Amino acid sequence: MIIDASAYIGHWPFRRLRYNTAEGLITLMDRNGIDKAVVSSINAVFYKNCQEGNEELAEEIEPYRDRLIPFATLNPKYVAWREDLERCVKDLGMKGLRLYPLYHNYGLLERESRELLSEAAKMGLPIEIPVMLVDPRQHHWMDLDRMLPLNQILEAAKQHPENTFIILNTKTVSPIIEGKQPVPKNVYVEMSRLTAVLTKSIQALISRIGVERVVFGTGIPFHYAKPALLKMEILDIEEEAKEAIYWKNMAKLLGLNAD
Amino acid sequence: MKIDAHCHVARRSGGSSRGWTNADLVEAADKLGIDKLLCSTPVSRGQPTMDVVRECNNITYEAMKEYPDKILGYAFVNPGYFTESIEEIERCVKELGMIGIKLYNQYRADEPVVLPIIRKAAEMQIPVLWHAGHPPSPEEALRWGQPRISDGVHIAALARKVPDAILIHGHIGGGGDWEWGIKALRNVPNVYVDTSGSVVDEGIVEMCVKYLGADRVLFATDLSMEAGVGKILGANLTDEERELIFWKNMDRILRRRKV
Repeated sequence: MIIDASAYIGHWPFRRLRYNTAEGLITLMDRNGIDKAVVSSINAVFYKNCQEGNEELAEEIEPYRDRLIPFATLNPKYVAWREDLERCVKDLGMKGLRLYPLYHNYGLLERESRELLSEAAKMGLPIEIPVMLVDPRQHHWMDLDRMLPLNQILEAAKQHPENTFIILNTKTVSPIIEGKQPVPKNVYVEMSRLTAVLTKSIQALISRIGVERVVFGTGIPFHYAKPALLKMEILDIEEEAKEAIYWKNMAKLLGLNAD
Repeated sequence: MKIDAHCHVARRSGGSSRGWTNADLVEAADKLGIDKLLCSTPVSRGQPTMDVVRECNNITYEAMKEYPDKILGYAFVNPGYFTESIEEIERCVKELGMIGIKLYNQYRADEPVVLPIIRKAAEMQIPVLWHAGHPPSPEEALRWGQPRISDGVHIAALARKVPDAILIHGHIGGGGDWEWGIKALRNVPNVYVDTSGSVVDEGIVEMCVKYLGADRVLFATDLSMEAGVGKILGANLTDEERELIFWKNMDRILRRRKV
């Protein structure tokens, strides 16, 4: 069983993506042996009114609800997000949130974020935060030129112990591994951009926060799935620990049966 | 069979280490089924003196001696040293058995200062691997500390000046605008691209093949080992194309040497 914590549907304005529909994603998942994927709308990142992206997502994945697990994209600084949150969870069956503080121009430590995080905690929704969508070194002239600092997520996690934070698409885990303070227990890290050989950042991460807080992801259709799968294949840890990363940790966060 | 066309050894000049050993590098290669590692030891910032250049090449040579069946070397030179660079190339290729030349960002590929080196490489029919990439803006190239980094346009200009040279645009997945690099090289048959770098964007390898043909694409890692192998395995290619990219193209280049 494999659960991909990091998949997307929709149009990316700065490069032609392939497989960026529900059908396309299923094709990639089948090709790579991925059973389920957490998915959000790329369109919702760019619409001022994110909710329309969430509505599109729910409609598109309807035939694949058994495999595609929708997360809502919300902007706590945009009007009526509380109503959108309620609709996403109660009517559209969204199982978590995916937040983009840099794209939506807010900080995780600001008042509006605190209110959104508080509501998400009450609803038991995990929060996924991609530190970037594409590598800023190749950014389009209208796109972001930086990543979200990990320390901002760590601080938010410290201030909101009732929430669960899953960090996506990070190439570095230095602030987690080298930080003097204990890593908040509510922080999880998706491993697709980390390494299993040479610098061995996946192993270092496991040593620091425990295998139970590392989750599998790919970043499809932005990325090939195979690099992340290859890292898991050659990772020098016990099979049971691999199972936890491949799917059990994420299944628990999603409230799925992890036995 | 896999030949990594762009790799580095564990030590850098000045005694600094990357945090792992050549044994770790070879172990990683073995895990990923990489048979040969074509390595260099460049200086990535500033203008190294000839003493530093020789030290770099001696570091590479030590690794070649340590793993003679696995590690092959590129000679790194600073084109600003006209005569000495040519002498160093001759020492490295003829005495130490290196297979090509590595150029970094000391000068851009379209600057006349590099011509004697490129003509020498063409005479010997050895490949020249360029550290290359297209930053989003000149300001960001400065921020990267690489105002003279070469991109596809610069390398294409050089290739047209010396049509019998064998040039390799390094790490098309190294962080710059890879669509720019690939498009720039479309009509320049004596330039290859290597696929190394941490960028695993879905479609990058297919675009290389579509624009350049599979026989001008070289598998490489630049130490992003799993990403390097994973993107070739993940790309939608025929078996024949994958073989060309993984090793046959580089093997063909190596057989052209007149040394």
